[in-house]
Amino acid sequence: MATTTVEGALAGAAHDHREPSYIQASSGLKAWLFTIDHKRIGMMYLASVWTFFFIAGALALLFRLELLTPNLDLLLHLVGGENAAMIHAKALDLYNKLFTLHGGLMVFAFIVPSIPASLGNFFLPLMLGAKDVAFPKLNLASYYLYVIGASVVVYAILGAGLDTGWTFYTPYSTTTGTAVTTATLGVFIMGFSSILTGLNFIVTIHKMRAPGMTWNRMPLFLWAIYATSVIQILATPVLAITLLLLVMERTLGIGIFDPAMGGDPVLFQHFFWFYSHPAVYIMILPAFGVISEIIAVHSKKHIFGYWAIAISSVAIAIISFLVWGHHMFVSGQSEFAAVLFSFLTFAVAVPTAIKVFSWVATLYKGSISFTTPMLYGLMFLFTFTIGGLTGIFLGALAVDVHLHDTYFVVAHFHYVMMGGTVVAFLGGIHHWWPKMTGRMYPETLGKICSVIIFIGFNLTFFPQFIAGTQGMPRRYATYVDQYTIYHELSTVGSLILGVGLFIVAIYLLVSMFKGKQASDNPWGGASLEWATQSPPIEHNFHDTPHVDTDPYNFPNIDRSASIGHH
Amino acid sequence: MTTTTAPHGGAAPPHGHDHDHPSFLAHHFDTPAQQEASAKMGMWVFLATEILMFSGLFLAYAIARWAYPEMVLEAHHHLSIPMGGVNTVVLITSSFTVAVGVRAAKIDNQKLLQWMLLATIFLAGCFLVVKYFEYSAKFEHGLLPGRFYTADYIAKDLTVPSPLGGPHTFFGIYFLMTGLHGVHVVLGMCVMTWIYLRARRGEFGPHFFTPVENVGLYWHLVDLVWIFLFPLLYLVK
Amino acid sequence: MATTYIRGKQVEPEMEAPHHDVAPMSLYWKVFGALLVLTCLTVAVSYADLGKASLAVAMVVAVVKSTFVVMYFMHLKGDDRTFTFIFLSTLVFVGIFFGLTFADLSTRDAVNSEWGYHGWANEKGQIIERTAPAHGEGGHEAAAGHEAAPTEGHPSPEAAPTH
Repeated sequence: MATTTVEGALAGAAHDHREPSYIQASSGLKAWLFTIDHKRIGMMYLASVWTFFFIAGALALLFRLELLTPNLDLLLHLVGGENAAMIHAKALDLYNKLFTLHGGLMVFAFIVPSIPASLGNFFLPLMLGAKDVAFPKLNLASYYLYVIGASVVVYAILGAGLDTGWTFYTPYSTTTGTAVTTATLGVFIMGFSSILTGLNFIVTIHKMRAPGMTWNRMPLFLWAIYATSVIQILATPVLAITLLLLVMERTLGIGIFDPAMGGDPVLFQHFFWFYSHPAVYIMILPAFGVISEIIAVHSKKHIFGYWAIAISSVAIAIISFLVWGHHMFVSGQSEFAAVLFSFLTFAVAVPTAIKVFSWVATLYKGSISFTTPMLYGLMFLFTFTIGGLTGIFLGALAVDVHLHDTYFVVAHFHYVMMGGTVVAFLGGIHHWWPKMTGRMYPETLGKICSVIIFIGFNLTFFPQFIAGTQGMPRRYATYVDQYTIYHELSTVGSLILGVGLFIVAIYLLVSMFKGKQASDNPWGGASLEWATQSPPIEHNFHDTPHVDTDPYNFPNIDRSASIGHH
Repeated sequence: MTTTTAPHGGAAPPHGHDHDHPSFLAHHFDTPAQQEASAKMGMWVFLATEILMFSGLFLAYAIARWAYPEMVLEAHHHLSIPMGGVNTVVLITSSFTVAVGVRAAKIDNQKLLQWMLLATIFLAGCFLVVKYFEYSAKFEHGLLPGRFYTADYIAKDLTVPSPLGGPHTFFGIYFLMTGLHGVHVVLGMCVMTWIYLRARRGEFGPHFFTPVENVGLYWHLVDLVWIFLFPLLYLVK
Repeated sequence: MATTYIRGKQVEPEMEAPHHDVAPMSLYWKVFGALLVLTCLTVAVSYADLGKASLAVAMVVAVVKSTFVVMYFMHLKGDDRTFTFIFLSTLVFVGIFFGLTFADLSTRDAVNSEWGYHGWANEKGQIIERTAPAHGEGGHEAAAGHEAAPTEGHPSPEAAPTH
């Protein structure tokens, strides 16, 4: 392991002293809370999204425990009431609130901002060779909007109660007495945060690239972030207007979604999924970017099909706007539209498969080192492929009619979101941990935990595929006995998964203070973030770096010292 | 290593370009041109989000009109074409004044810039006053959105008791669209006032007028939305 | 001394903002005049009975007006072409939003009509026959209304003969 494999704007190389890092640059709570440094904002996002991830995850464990047995039991003990029937009703109600909070927080407070807002914020300017994002103050504002929005959602669901599921489907959401208005306000605010982050990133990528950083020399992570931002920009405003219409429907009774007044509840689903389908690509595209980095760096091989991966990110962003109707196959849209959307859905598999094949081809004959990030990368290839392929099942119109609203769907999107995004996020955190904190995480423990997570994850969600094909519907607190075995396996798996994630969180926290000092470039990466010191200085680089090669040029890296500074 | 290291003056400044940064240039940009291009691009991307947000309401309108053409035709007779027309002229004029204001900033005509900004704010105020009279007339006649709609069913063809596709939907959409547009007008006035105060301090000139230009872009978008709202809501045929 | 870069290309270290083309005042007056004329035109046309073409005419006028605003007031003409790209691609996505939503709404009845079903179910599951098509010509049937379950004894507007 070379200490400095990239010559560049390194303090140690060019000067005889190391400058204070962005962490040491100033101290005190105020210096963090009012910072406009993208790295600090990225770290604040990282802490926040992980907080929400653990809250939402704990809720999942709670209702997974409830689902261990076919009948209600655990939740009965958590609610009070005068008689058995009332306790029963309250427990069912609690179950609805639990999965709503789990889904709402995971989607809006965790997965949507997870990789782009934390790793993206931290590494986008570094990888571009810029001093900061284009609008640093906007960046901080979007962080606070996110925190406020997420808090409003938590308050709405915990304080006032919400049981619509994260999708807010009408007509239930327009008629239920629960806190739909408050919750949508929270989501609305988080949407603003998402828009501002996307706007910031797009402008940064367009206007802040370092000299020589042409589009085809951009690390693939940035291409993925770019495609993600495009979706955030184009889709999130429609979510805002959808939620506004929903709130107006509740308060004024306009009737657009209300059949009794001449409206159409299916229309809500059109509006909602115009955002929310592209939004699942907001969730997964950054993960693709992380995986591209991990696979290339840890197999020390030039990424296979750079342009194919880059362009397929953009292609996914565009196609994602054409497929939303596949969420509505059984909700009363026309047969023609269902066939059309089913057909278009298959199209999105093409760029996705191009990526997977390119990653596998990158591994071929690479010098693979089985570091923790790489283990997560390989795990991603495995679990995401299962998630992606089961998506094809669900995109097929006839099959979906059978599988709709079953645990098969639940398993599918957890394989994509958890097996895809969360695994990539974990991989990315390990990959960039030395850069972000200047410390190494414990490698052996990291590897062990990745295996625990792999086992726990598959044990949790694979049985759900089987239960789903046999007809187990989602969102039920009780079930018939024949599904018991699948739920038992799933609950045991979820506990293993929870333990694995918990250990990861603990050792990462500990390593921030007690970890081994990390070198500037522990993995021998060739992109610009490895060319500055670990952790980076406040302004990222001493001088604007100059780029004249691409970021996956590993074999020549020591000889042609391609990244310098003027 | 392809280039030489820029010499650092003294005790390692955070970065090496401070001394030739003009006051309006933020620390993370290299040149004013880069800053201007970034700010403007940010504004255009923001406008894109605005367009998509309004498009949701336009789609709701399109669906209502497509599903209940007679209802929309009848209901729109209750909107005042003169008032809508006057407001259209007011907004177009304000678009003109703000465009002239940006031009004034570019040619360093400070007086004209300030007057044009004031004119725009004034016209925006006129727009809201007309809107106020329009809204109060609607309130008076019970032409309110959704379940607050209390006027009689308008057309004789629509006197059936069923509320299906009734004029309450049209007025719901009318109030939503014009209301959201009105919120944008109010926000525009606030931002414009801030820009005016900065212009009075002489912050803008040929070297730096991006904030003026951006608020202008925003204001033109508000105008654009109205250019479509006016024929769709007031001039249905 | 400092070398400066814009978007990856080295530039002269000029601290002046780049030269801005200032359009002549006459252009602004012309555009303003054109917008006023078009506004009058669209109001005038609305009083003429153009039938089905009236919406198309109104929209064409609105598009022409907004093109003027975008090109000359917002300076899209002659500005960075990226902005034009952003603006136009936004419109493409608005088109997708409208297009695919209407692809559903306008074909809601296709299969049912093909199979000879012309009614819809009310909330009790009874089938209510639709007596007459709503507006004579196709494509105007109130698809959104078909989701509705009209209360009995209250025929929906579609069921009532219109005009």
